[in-house]
Amino acid sequence: MKKLMRNLLLSMMLSLSTANAYALDVTRLPDVKEGIVSIQTQDPIKDVGYVIGDVVTRHITLTIKKPYVLIEESLPIVDYEKTYRGKPIGVYLSALKHTKKDEGDEVVHQLTLDYQIFTSSVVAKRAAVLAEYVRLLNTESKDREVVKYRVPMWEFVISPLSVFGQIKVEDDMSQFRGPLLMDASKEKTRLKTALVLLVLSLLGLLYIVGKNAWLPRMGGPFAKAYRTIKKQTNTPQGIQEAVSSMHAALNTSAGHSLFTDNLDAFLAKRPAFKAIKSEIQQFFGLSNQVFFEANTKHDVGAEPVAWLKQFCRRCRDCERGLIPDALSPKSKA
Amino acid sequence: MSDRQLADWRQHALTLEAEVNKVVVGQASPIRLITTAIFARGHVLLEGDVGVGKTTLLRAFTRGIGGGYQRIEGTIDLMPNDLVYHTYLGEDGKPHVSAGPLLMSGENLSVFFFNEINRARPQVHSLLLRVMAERTLSAFNKEHTFPHMIVFADRNQVEREETFEIPSAARDRFMMEIPIIVPNDDTIMSSLMFDTRFHNADALIDTVKADVLQFDQLNGFSSVIQKSVTASPTLEKYALNLWKATRNPTDYGVKVTNVDMSRLVLAGASPRGMSMMLRAARVNAWLNDRTAITPEDIHAVFHATVAHRIVFSPVYEMRRTEIAREMLSNIVNVVAAP
Repeated sequence: MKKLMRNLLLSMMLSLSTANAYALDVTRLPDVKEGIVSIQTQDPIKDVGYVIGDVVTRHITLTIKKPYVLIEESLPIVDYEKTYRGKPIGVYLSALKHTKKDEGDEVVHQLTLDYQIFTSSVVAKRAAVLAEYVRLLNTESKDREVVKYRVPMWEFVISPLSVFGQIKVEDDMSQFRGPLLMDASKEKTRLKTALVLLVLSLLGLLYIVGKNAWLPRMGGPFAKAYRTIKKQTNTPQGIQEAVSSMHAALNTSAGHSLFTDNLDAFLAKRPAFKAIKSEIQQFFGLSNQVFFEANTKHDVGAEPVAWLKQFCRRCRDCERGLIPDALSPKSKA
Repeated sequence: MSDRQLADWRQHALTLEAEVNKVVVGQASPIRLITTAIFARGHVLLEGDVGVGKTTLLRAFTRGIGGGYQRIEGTIDLMPNDLVYHTYLGEDGKPHVSAGPLLMSGENLSVFFFNEINRARPQVHSLLLRVMAERTLSAFNKEHTFPHMIVFADRNQVEREETFEIPSAARDRFMMEIPIIVPNDDTIMSSLMFDTRFHNADALIDTVKADVLQFDQLNGFSSVIQKSVTASPTLEKYALNLWKATRNPTDYGVKVTNVDMSRLVLAGASPRGMSMMLRAARVNAWLNDRTAITPEDIHAVFHATVAHRIVFSPVYEMRRTEIAREMLSNIVNVVAAP
């Protein structure tokens, strides 16, 4: 009798444990009604050529309308290896990242699933990340309704790590492998060097064609004179060089040799220079003193080169049709 | 001579210019050039039409500088001896000889005006050239000197019949060739027509202040000017380039409209011509109160001292005036200083 009671108790316990196990089998739960859950999946673009050790990452966005909520314990378990028909498929879930955002009527769940492949084959074989089932709880249901939602599977092809047997490479023109390339690093280095030389040569040519000027209008007579004048110092030699450069620029701009006796004709032809007529006359006074009549005095101040620099800039402005800058008090005679 | 004396003489020269400008209106540029020639002691060739005031101009200058003024008309039958003497029968019925225009004023001759020089024969030109160059003349077994004389000659470029073109060697003796043209200013032209002051040349010249300068001191003072006014190395180089450009204009890129430049110039300016140009430039600098020549001084006398010296190909001689003017203007435009 005692033995009978013990067996009966054992049978009841076993039958209860079976009932519990049945209740936890998610596949037997009813599917969620249509329209409650929407899904967006972002699978890898490449679906072939996977080998052992590769990681397949899936991004899944589940939008679940209230009153249904995701039972987070039903999410896939990390390090769990899926099986198919009772056999492990060699694909493990290696990482899971889950975030959710409550948007009022619905909750958006972002799932990032990293599956690592731990299987290999001597020939290409099909594999898949199997479907995942998540459970949802209807929070307004009196009997605590639980339903399931199926995340679709994703199929791919596993490739062998090496070619099995002897093959002729020329016959194996797989579009997935791409052509076998020769080592072109030397040629690339030479090409880069040649391109650098070409660019430098073109820049040099531009400099020469632009009459030693890098930018448009840098080759104007006063721009060139300015570059010469700014190198000069306030020595007699430097002043002579600077005045000569200025004369050359004025002559080039006028199209003829410019003197005080044809200055008015020049100003009539180039009215932009009328604004600096008095300075041009000052310049000729300086030139007279430097080149022709040493015992006279000029009225450009104690630093003729500085004055010439400013005068040259003003001429350059006139040449470009701009209103020349006002003379600084220091440079005024 | 001190700077003060230079300044005093300059003031006299400007006074003379002002006096002449009062009676000969609208000719400021020729008057400045003649003033320059007087102080540079150079002979002047006047070029202009009939009745433009050449004689009045010269008489006004003569009155201002003092000394004797003589004039002779160039004609085709004029002979050299007509400049030296002329013969006539006196009241006593006997032949007499009297001094001609050259000898009449003796050493006091300051201005000798040869009107229409191109109508005179080459023999006359020859005599005149010697007098211009040496300022001496042998006549009546005696050497006559004219140390203060300046010759002003005039030629009419329009009329060419019965004329003898002055050879280049003769032209070269003149320091300047100055064009006298009718002024373009309507006011001046109207004055010349309606202002009765200009209708009587003798009365007009009498209004010029007499003896503003001392003609017999001009030679000495001219030397002072030449010594006082200096030329810098840059100016010398500039003048040299101008000279070379008159000789080989193609080397400097000088062009003249409708002229084959490679055939134009047979001979450029002469060394004498360039020295005369520098003499005149020094005087111009002094007149402008400077102690050194500037390029502008050369420009002021460049056309007048150089244009008549350049020898052109015969095919271009008929257009000498316009071609010389354009060529020299372009030379000034292309030669830079410094």
